[in-house]
Amino acid sequence: MTDQALLLPQEEKQFSLAKDAFIRLVANRLAIVGMVLVVFLFFVAIFGPYLTPYDFLSQDLMSRNQAPSWLHWFGTDDLGRDIMSRVIYGSRTAVIVGFSTVSFSLVIGIFLGALGGYFGGKIDAFIVWLIDITMSIPSLLLVIVINVSLKPPLVNWMDAQYVATGNQIYRNTIWVDFVLVFGSLALIKWPKAARIIRGQILSIRNKNYVVAAEALGVPTSRIVRRYVIPNAIGPIIVYISAALGEAMVLESSFSFLGVGVRPPIPSWGNMISDGLRIWQMYPHVLAAPAAVLAIVTIAFSFLGDGLNDALNPRQWK
Amino acid sequence: MGRYILNRLVRWIPSVFILLLLVYALVFFGAGDPIKLIFLQAPGDVAYDPARIDAIREAAGLNRPFLLQFWDYVLNVAQGNFGNSLVSGRSVNAMISAAVPVTLKIGLTAIVLVSVVGILLGVIAALNQNKWLDNLIVGFALVIWGIPVFVAGPLITVFLVLVLDFDVPYGWGGLFSTKVIVPLLVIGLNPMALIIRQARAGVLEVLSEDYVRTARAKGIPNYQVVMRHIMRPVLTPVVSQIGLLVIATLNNSILIEKVFGLPGLGRMTETAIKSSDYPVIMAIVLIFSIVVMASNLLVDISYPLLDPRAAAKKTEDE
Repeated sequence: MTDQALLLPQEEKQFSLAKDAFIRLVANRLAIVGMVLVVFLFFVAIFGPYLTPYDFLSQDLMSRNQAPSWLHWFGTDDLGRDIMSRVIYGSRTAVIVGFSTVSFSLVIGIFLGALGGYFGGKIDAFIVWLIDITMSIPSLLLVIVINVSLKPPLVNWMDAQYVATGNQIYRNTIWVDFVLVFGSLALIKWPKAARIIRGQILSIRNKNYVVAAEALGVPTSRIVRRYVIPNAIGPIIVYISAALGEAMVLESSFSFLGVGVRPPIPSWGNMISDGLRIWQMYPHVLAAPAAVLAIVTIAFSFLGDGLNDALNPRQWK
Repeated sequence: MGRYILNRLVRWIPSVFILLLLVYALVFFGAGDPIKLIFLQAPGDVAYDPARIDAIREAAGLNRPFLLQFWDYVLNVAQGNFGNSLVSGRSVNAMISAAVPVTLKIGLTAIVLVSVVGILLGVIAALNQNKWLDNLIVGFALVIWGIPVFVAGPLITVFLVLVLDFDVPYGWGGLFSTKVIVPLLVIGLNPMALIIRQARAGVLEVLSEDYVRTARAKGIPNYQVVMRHIMRPVLTPVVSQIGLLVIATLNNSILIEKVFGLPGLGRMTETAIKSSDYPVIMAIVLIFSIVVMASNLLVDISYPLLDPRAAAKKTEDE
């Protein structure tokens, strides 16, 4: 029970660190604005589709390209679909892609980073090399290639499965788009997480308190729980916030280029791309999704910056 | 120094090779049969005769094992031959050599402009730390970092045309035509945030150094302290961002060239993606990766020139 006694003060300190971080975050006005907007985005993404009066797919050809009004707050597009409902549904697309990308990249990043940091030597050198290579690839293009080249075989495979089994699941190829987008994004985004974890493990290994804990015979799992995770949690939270924003922007970029999530499923990217065709006559079709995407990314930028200041006080000058 | 450069080069070549293999494998196993793709994209009803397709495949050497075909491709690429477009049948080389100058000119100009303006803003912000000017610049950096280029471009255009009643900047009239101003601004906007942040952080770090205090104590005028003692060490962290800057600029050009009607690599990429024109896509991926990796190499090489300590540390690390 000796190690239990030794570890107790550490626990108290953790609590106060979280509290400190929270106080610092609340003191940062921009970060609070960002946080409120992000929470609002999640709320809209989860409940929005139930709150809108229009279906995002229902076309009303009698009222095409209408300017914003009380009936249609953001106006209607060239098929008479309510733009606000589409923007709201687009937030769902963005949030799904964002969360899946971040969770997958975290899993890959933490696994590889921990592997490198823990084993060192050749394994570490290989993982560092992998990180370097992944970071030097023009990410947008590689993801595009993955998306473009893997979609046809996947769709073919699903068709074949449908013919063979008759299961309705295989008929819906929209999920292929989603899986490809966040799968390929995770393949690009993991190095940052891996770097954080690897760096934390490397720096913590030589700390006296860890050496002491090891000498006392504290099992590795407990060292990880008590020392590695509390040290890494700050940078990881900052990473999650930044990566969420980036993943949403990238998702929109793909849809904008016509690669990622395809119409009729609304994504802010493909709405912007649609808007570009007719913005001279109907600027609201372009402006609404563009403005929403801009606000969301700025909100993540503010929140990430605030979190960084709040959680990594050691970076302070 | 020579060994250092050689070391970097030796690491660089296998990376390019592996990237080539990865992209080729993706297209080879993923995209499906190029012959069928050609037939699918041919206009009208082309007789879908399996025997004929097999004959064409045989003639083109497309029934050989993967590695053999890959090796052929590598040899061709090494000789600078990227093959022909599946859609138009034009040689990819010709398409690329027409498009590269546009993207290159805009990209390089944007990078230079962004670096100069970004460093200036960053230094100004740091010298006025926590005053309103600093807050303004940092806030500006956060905002432009947030807005993706394909949002900024259209929004700025809508604003210019509909609110200020400006001409629509569309098309390419050479680097010195006024049409280039808006695209330059848009392409450079979010990478600039990167430079501002780095420059600001760098100056803040240097400001607390002893030698700056000594210089000030000796009574050296402020601008001389800034130029001599602060600017030089700040360049190193900024230069380290150039790889990211190049990636950001290339990504931006893919996204934005269509909006402004620029006939560059970016627009070529976009059309190639939409029509699944794999030879073109592969050539572009290769060119972009080589540009990015080369700029990383350049950064690594220029490190020791800017800061001998960094080079010593880097060689120690390895």
